[in-house]
Amino acid sequence: MPRPRTTWVLLAYRLPREPSTPRSTLWRKLRRLGAALVLDGLAALPLDARNREQLEWLADEVIEARGEATIWIGELASARQERELAARMAEAVADDYAAVIAEAAAAAADATGQRRRTLARLRRELRRIRARDYFPPPERELAQRAVDELAVLVEEPVG
Amino acid sequence: MRWATRRHCHVDRAACAWPIRRFLDPEAEFIFVDDPEEVPGDATAFDVRGAELSHHGGDCSFETFLRRYELADPVLWELAKIVHEADLADERYDAPEAPGLDVLLRGLSMVRDDDELLALAGPLFDGLYEYRKRALLLGREPA
Repeated sequence: MPRPRTTWVLLAYRLPREPSTPRSTLWRKLRRLGAALVLDGLAALPLDARNREQLEWLADEVIEARGEATIWIGELASARQERELAARMAEAVADDYAAVIAEAAAAAADATGQRRRTLARLRRELRRIRARDYFPPPERELAQRAVDELAVLVEEPVG
Repeated sequence: MRWATRRHCHVDRAACAWPIRRFLDPEAEFIFVDDPEEVPGDATAFDVRGAELSHHGGDCSFETFLRRYELADPVLWELAKIVHEADLADERYDAPEAPGLDVLLRGLSMVRDDDELLALAGPLFDGLYEYRKRALLLGREPA
């Protein structure tokens, strides 16, 4: 069965070369939202009310920084290219999950106090990654399991 | 006075409506629109793209509101940090209450219309204000 097609909300923007701060702020915010950079100056997210609103605010920030920005809603004409875009987005979050898995494994060797702090931090990090995960890769479950296992280790009495 | 904002309110719009009713205009009438162009000429728009009372320079609309009306109360600015993070989650502030507030208001918006949402959010922000006020006076979280 073919995967249902995704409707996208897109931010097309152009920012002046200088100053460079608005550009790096925009990139940081796009990355936090999990947006895919389709081209230089074209960022895409699956359409929902929240993503649309967040991109609209970013468009206004671009305009306030003397740039140009428009918001578009659209579909990819090619199913194959859509699969590739989704795969690219899944790959990006998979790397983030992999970092969580590695840190959880490393924390197993730490002292109890340190381990507890690492657990709290990794739980927050996992929440942040899940918020920008639109095409969940297998690493999502693995990362959740790694953090759950660390939690069990933290709860175990020192023996 | 008439105040206009976007339909399907979430945390920032609910937060803005609260000081409007509490401090600025107890008789406020709220209008909800789908597009900024639908804002009636006699209404003040907030949290609408292109409006003065909206997002500016990375601030959410509630922060713009406090600046515009010179509401310098430090407790309101404590609330502003929470609203900012619940709305934008860009980690400009440390606001552990934010994810909870986001979920509470998002959930409410699923079971109530915009008028009811703003009415219900009122006492919620009253309580949040009182809590942060006591915390500020005590220098620790109140029990």
